[in-house]
Amino acid sequence: MREKVITTKTIANPETRYGDGKAATRHFVVQRWTGAVNVLLVGFLVWLVVRLAGADRAEMISIVANPIAGIVLAVLLVVALVHMRIGMVEIIEDYVLDPRTNRLSLMLNTLFCLGVGLIGVIALLKLVIWG
Amino acid sequence: MAMSILHRATGIALYIGTLLLVIWLAAAAIGVEALDGVNGLYGNWFGQLVLFGYTWALFHHMLGGLRHFLWDNIIGMEPGEREKLAWVNLVGSIVLTLLVWTIFVWVG
Repeated sequence: MREKVITTKTIANPETRYGDGKAATRHFVVQRWTGAVNVLLVGFLVWLVVRLAGADRAEMISIVANPIAGIVLAVLLVVALVHMRIGMVEIIEDYVLDPRTNRLSLMLNTLFCLGVGLIGVIALLKLVIWG
Repeated sequence: MAMSILHRATGIALYIGTLLLVIWLAAAAIGVEALDGVNGLYGNWFGQLVLFGYTWALFHHMLGGLRHFLWDNIIGMEPGEREKLAWVNLVGSIVLTLLVWTIFVWVG
C-alpha cells in the first residue's frame, strides 16, 4: 500500500513497497558486482578495440577467433548489458512516472539489451567457430 | 549534483554506444564488405569524434563507479572530500582519455 505523501519514513518502511520490492536489493548488489567486473575488463576492451581499429577481416579473426579472447569479449558484453539494463531501469523508475509508459519503457529496455546481447554473442560465435 | 547527472548521462551514452561495438562485431561476422563499410564509417572524422567521446564517457563512468564503491564503504562522504573526489573523477577521466588516444591513436 502506498501513502499519499512520500516521506523518508515511507521509503524506509518495507511494508509500503516503495520502489521495486522484489528486485531493488538484487539490483543494488548485481549493479556493484557487474560494475566491478567491468572495471577489471575495461583494459582488455580498450586493448582489443585499439589493436583492431580499422583492421581487415583476416586480422580481426586472428585475434577475436581465439576462444579465450572471444569468451572474454562475450562475458564483457553480457555483464555490461546486465549493468546497463539495471541502470536504465533506475532512470525509468525515477523519471517515467505514468504507469503505462513506465511498463512500456521497462519492456523496451529489456528488449534492447536482449537484442544487442543476442546479436553480439551470435556474431562472436560465428567468428570463433567458422571464422 | 552535476556529477550525479554526468554519471547518468555518460551511462546513457554508453548504453547507446554498445550498439557501436555490436555493429562492428556483426559486420565482421557477415563479411569483408560489411566490415570495410563499418571501418570507413568509424574511421572518418565524425566516427573518430564519436569514439573519442565514447572513450571519455567510458572512463568517466568507470571512475564515477569507483567513487560509488568508496561511498558504499563510507569513505569520502564529508563536505570537501566529495568535491575533491568529483574533481579527481573529472580530471582523471580527461587525462585517461587523452593518454589512451595519444599513445594508441595519434602516436602509435
